[in-house]
Amino acid sequence: MDLHNLNPSSLKSRFTTRFLRALTEINARKPIASSSSPREIFQRYRRIKDAADTSMAYSVRSRRTWSKATLWRLRTPSHRRRLASFGRRSSLNKTRTTTTASHRGAVVVQITSRGGGLGVQLEELRELVPGGEAMDLCNLLDETAHYIKCLTTQVQVMRTIANLYSLE
Amino acid sequence: MTSENDDMGLAMSSISMFNKSSNTSDSFFSSCWDPIVSQSGSLGGSSMASHYHLVMENQGISGTSHVSHYQSDPSFVELVSKLTGFDGGNLSQMVGPFSLPQCNQVANRRCPPNFTLNTEGGNERGSTNSLRFLDEHRISKEALVGTSPNGKIRKCAPESGSPLRSCKNGDEEPVMDLSSEGCDGPREQARKKPETEQNTGANSRGKQAVKQDKDSSQSEEAPKENYIHVRARRGQATNSHSLAERVRREKISERMRLLQELVPGCNKITGKAVMLDEIINYVQSLQQQVEFLSMKLATVNPEINLDLDRILSKDILHQRSGSAAVLGLGPGSNSPYGFSPSTFPGTISGIPNKNPQFPPLPQTVLENELLNLFQMGFSGSTMDGFGLNGQLKPEM
Repeated sequence: MDLHNLNPSSLKSRFTTRFLRALTEINARKPIASSSSPREIFQRYRRIKDAADTSMAYSVRSRRTWSKATLWRLRTPSHRRRLASFGRRSSLNKTRTTTTASHRGAVVVQITSRGGGLGVQLEELRELVPGGEAMDLCNLLDETAHYIKCLTTQVQVMRTIANLYSLE
Repeated sequence: MTSENDDMGLAMSSISMFNKSSNTSDSFFSSCWDPIVSQSGSLGGSSMASHYHLVMENQGISGTSHVSHYQSDPSFVELVSKLTGFDGGNLSQMVGPFSLPQCNQVANRRCPPNFTLNTEGGNERGSTNSLRFLDEHRISKEALVGTSPNGKIRKCAPESGSPLRSCKNGDEEPVMDLSSEGCDGPREQARKKPETEQNTGANSRGKQAVKQDKDSSQSEEAPKENYIHVRARRGQATNSHSLAERVRREKISERMRLLQELVPGCNKITGKAVMLDEIINYVQSLQQQVEFLSMKLATVNPEINLDLDRILSKDILHQRSGSAAVLGLGPGSNSPYGFSPSTFPGTISGIPNKNPQFPPLPQTVLENELLNLFQMGFSGSTMDGFGLNGQLKPEM
């Protein structure tokens, strides 16, 4: 993977360009002062993380459920998201899920175990992969594979950027 | 006319259908097929029956001389043209207008009628279509009368697996490039043992096992269809539900195999539950890495302005193991995931030291400090990656 990513339209390069643009924008907006409070640092961290996720979701060329879910999650405010997800999930998963509200807008979906003992793990996987609540196992595995691939790309690029920054 | 005869002759000669060693079978076949020949079928039934007989006789005699006995019927030509028009569609549609009691009779007599005919030459499409139709029809009758434990279902799945297309047993069978990237349709039903398709399941029929070894595959492509014909394996239930279940399970196992390749270190793991555990752990660790790296980027001050041109150079795209190894974060250094926040000194010193150079050890310290600080101090948002799960064991 090291040497054949000169392809200008590969996932890696697309993500890199977007993310770097976002980074420079964030840095330009609020440069790090020597006396930044942890809260400011934290805000920065949140912004950078959201920028990374957004740029990753945008760089996905073929529309994927998890990318759409990520973008949706980052765009709609939490209260609206909670309402929407109630309706969405209950209508989609009537047979096997019950939604319970939890704190701070994170909706926990409890999936009644169906299909041989994999219920707990399936539920965990659904929680991990964005947008995975409303998919059956087959598609979920597909999405997971693609999501893993994109996550590894993201980690690689971010690590390299961080190293570049820190080494200078 | 003659060209057609030649084609038929070629077809017949290249057919390796039955146990040639057994003479009894030949006589059996001839007796079996006699009533068909004797009957004067309607609407092309006779032509088809005669075609059957043609085939059968050739086996016993193994010569093309007898082909000349049967002039190509004009009705046969009509039949061929009719069948080409069907385009390999729904089997029931094809079966409908051609009610062939003879075939039923044949099936009942347990004649091994599963010959898949090899055709060469120009008129392949027509002849193969007709032959394949016969094959299908016969097989469907078999299924109906329950003489064989096989069943078939149709599933809607635009799968593009087509190694069946590549069944060329050395013959010059040009694969009909109907560009059927879709499911291979009725051709599935005549598949033989050497082809084990994930989409369709293996075809190992008990009675015709031996013959299938000698059979040569058909060359024709099914026209593009939206469903997969699945054949049940021997000794399995032919309930349509169980067949659908089996296809679904195969799909899932195929996806799990793909995932196994993606997740490092999962080659020896067998079993869905453990595999899923590994996958979950890996996804969690990846997400945590993203969070950690974004936090690191938040603290690092890019004092030197890196313009985009230089950044987009090969440095970023290719620096993977170089600098990472310098900083001790290379893959495989700690955990299999290359990142292990395992040691937690738990002390919180002044956060982020603006020292842009992070020696390896304080990096983990920094990360831990940040984690602890954020967990304790900032409760305004969900911190997914820093929850008390997975590998992070904060000691507070």
